[in-house]
Amino acid sequence: MGFLTLEGVSKVYGGLAAVRDVDLAVARGEFVSLLGPSGCGKTTTLQMIAGLVEPTAGRIGLDGRDITREKPNRRGLGVVFQSYALFPHMTVAENVAFGLEMRKVPRAERDRRVAEMLALVHLANLAERYPRQLSGGQRQRVAIARALVIAPPVLLLDEPLSNLDAKLREEMQFELRRIQRSVGTTTIMVTHDQAEALSISDRVVVMEAGRMTQIDAPYRLYEQPATAFISTFVGKMNRLAGVWGDGGVAVAGTVLASAPADVAAGTAVTAWIRPEKLHLRPMGEGRLAGRVASRFFLGGHWLLTVGTEAGDILVSVPNTGEEPAREGEPIGLDWEPASLRVEAGAGAAA
Amino acid sequence: MQKNGPVALLFHALVVAFVLAPLVVICLVAFTPENTLTMPTTAFSLRWFRAVFEHPDFVTAFGNSLWLATIAASISVAIAVPAGLAIDRYRFPGRDALNGLFLSPLIIPHLVLGVAFLRLFALIGATGSFAWLVLSHVIIVTPYVLRLVLAALSGLDRSAEQAAMTLGASRFTVFRRVTAPMILPGISGGWLIAFINSFDELTMSIFVTSPATVTLPVRMYMYATESIDPMMAAVSALMIALTALAMLALDRVFGLDKILVGEK
Ligand SMILES: Nc1ncnc2c1ncn2[C@@H]1O[C@H](COP(=O)(O)OP(=O)(O)OP(=O)(O)O)[C@@H](O)[C@H]1O
Ligand SMILES: [Mg+2]
Repeated sequence: MGFLTLEGVSKVYGGLAAVRDVDLAVARGEFVSLLGPSGCGKTTTLQMIAGLVEPTAGRIGLDGRDITREKPNRRGLGVVFQSYALFPHMTVAENVAFGLEMRKVPRAERDRRVAEMLALVHLANLAERYPRQLSGGQRQRVAIARALVIAPPVLLLDEPLSNLDAKLREEMQFELRRIQRSVGTTTIMVTHDQAEALSISDRVVVMEAGRMTQIDAPYRLYEQPATAFISTFVGKMNRLAGVWGDGGVAVAGTVLASAPADVAAGTAVTAWIRPEKLHLRPMGEGRLAGRVASRFFLGGHWLLTVGTEAGDILVSVPNTGEEPAREGEPIGLDWEPASLRVEAGAGAAA
Repeated sequence: MQKNGPVALLFHALVVAFVLAPLVVICLVAFTPENTLTMPTTAFSLRWFRAVFEHPDFVTAFGNSLWLATIAASISVAIAVPAGLAIDRYRFPGRDALNGLFLSPLIIPHLVLGVAFLRLFALIGATGSFAWLVLSHVIIVTPYVLRLVLAALSGLDRSAEQAAMTLGASRFTVFRRVTAPMILPGISGGWLIAFINSFDELTMSIFVTSPATVTLPVRMYMYATESIDPMMAAVSALMIALTALAMLALDRVFGLDKILVGEK
């Protein structure tokens, strides 16, 4: 059922496992992101799919065919490298035409398809330039056009937007998604930017030290992170250490929530809550008292650090046009009981 | 890049003047109408250039040297490119040994090589053979080409090759369409340096040339041991002009900075 499948795939470099026993099934037309910190094995995974790195163990399937040992030039996948990897001695048009030339597409059709693809990435007027005469974002789009023009069944992108400034990056995210939708190519994108992964993908795969620890839709990943690491890596998260006692979870003496059923009394627990799930209340109200320690204005919202008995807590307050509490002001914090997740254990944040 | 101060500029100017002065003097002397090596004072004359072309043995030697340097440089490129690829890309037993072997002619004095080749050629009955002369030159110029090829390869972005592969190119096509064009400045720079080195190699060639295969530097050396007249200056001026032309051509096509300094 998976269009592209990884089954028990591992890669060991001289005794050190870069990728350990990963399983993944990607559906046709799906946009999947590989998200994880530096060195967790994202590039290695992508290169094994591309055929540039040979897996130590496991099996890679494409459309029901086993491609584990197939040479990269036979797989026919589109790959966009982090460094773009354009051919410096060829013009933009020649770069894009390369894959078609290798497929012996007749000249006339080749020219037509290259022109179409360059129009799609808004580069039609730069066809005769050399890569060194282009800006970073333009090179990026050449790399994407070069990979897409061969109409690959799968598009593999290795941190394709990491070298762009924030604005261009956002533009390119929209563009990537638009192109991917209009062409319908199954896409796997490596990124270490969680915001990018959340905004652009159908599903996100989180990798930690060579393993895939959660594979989920962005919304579910954010709301129900599977590991302590994911809780803090994806979005901002408050982590409160507490103890299950009489009547619920006590953090620094304050009872915050009812404990999960399977926890024995007296054990250490950890409570998690997102900054945007907390609400400011006047002093004396709410479930927890605190004092505003610092305040950042971020445009769409304010980010407050509130000092409480349970430690510093980040609170995100939507910008309604009025200033929220000032630094030093005493306030109360409140939340919906359901938005506080409680876990057994000290919750050593990975 | 930081701008040079006046002292640094003066220093650079002095170094350049020091290097260029003998060349300028030789070129000027070549135009003398006198019989001795003097600067032309009153008149410029092409007399000594005419004299060069009236010596058929010089013309033959020049032809020999041109052929020898062209063939030796080309063969050494044909050896150094695959050898460079193997040394740069693969880890195999004997890799360091191979690298060392290829570079060893750089550190063995040409005098020693000359004597060794003389003995070898006498042993195998190859004395006076042009083919074996070419071989001896290939051996001394290959290290230069290999160095430049290795430098070009180490600066090469491998992902361009990988990209070509994922686009459907076979290994050979990747080399022909991507790797070779990307290291072409290194290859042609190597060829040129090999050519120049072979063209003016004297020490070893004295031992391994015969009257039929005599090269220009050897011919000049023999001539100079008998008499010194401005014809030597004329020959030198011609060689300087040839080299300058070759450098100019290379600079036009690739840019010398890129080849010799490795700037992008
Ligand atoms: N050719 C190699 N030889 C040995 N070890 C390697 C090799 N390539 C990668 N590794 C190791 O494998 C691990 C995973 O590397 P990988 O490049 O997949 O990380 P990544 O998730 O892409 O990181 P980043 O976000 O920094 O690009 C790292 O510990 C790395 O040092
Ligand atoms: Mg990587």
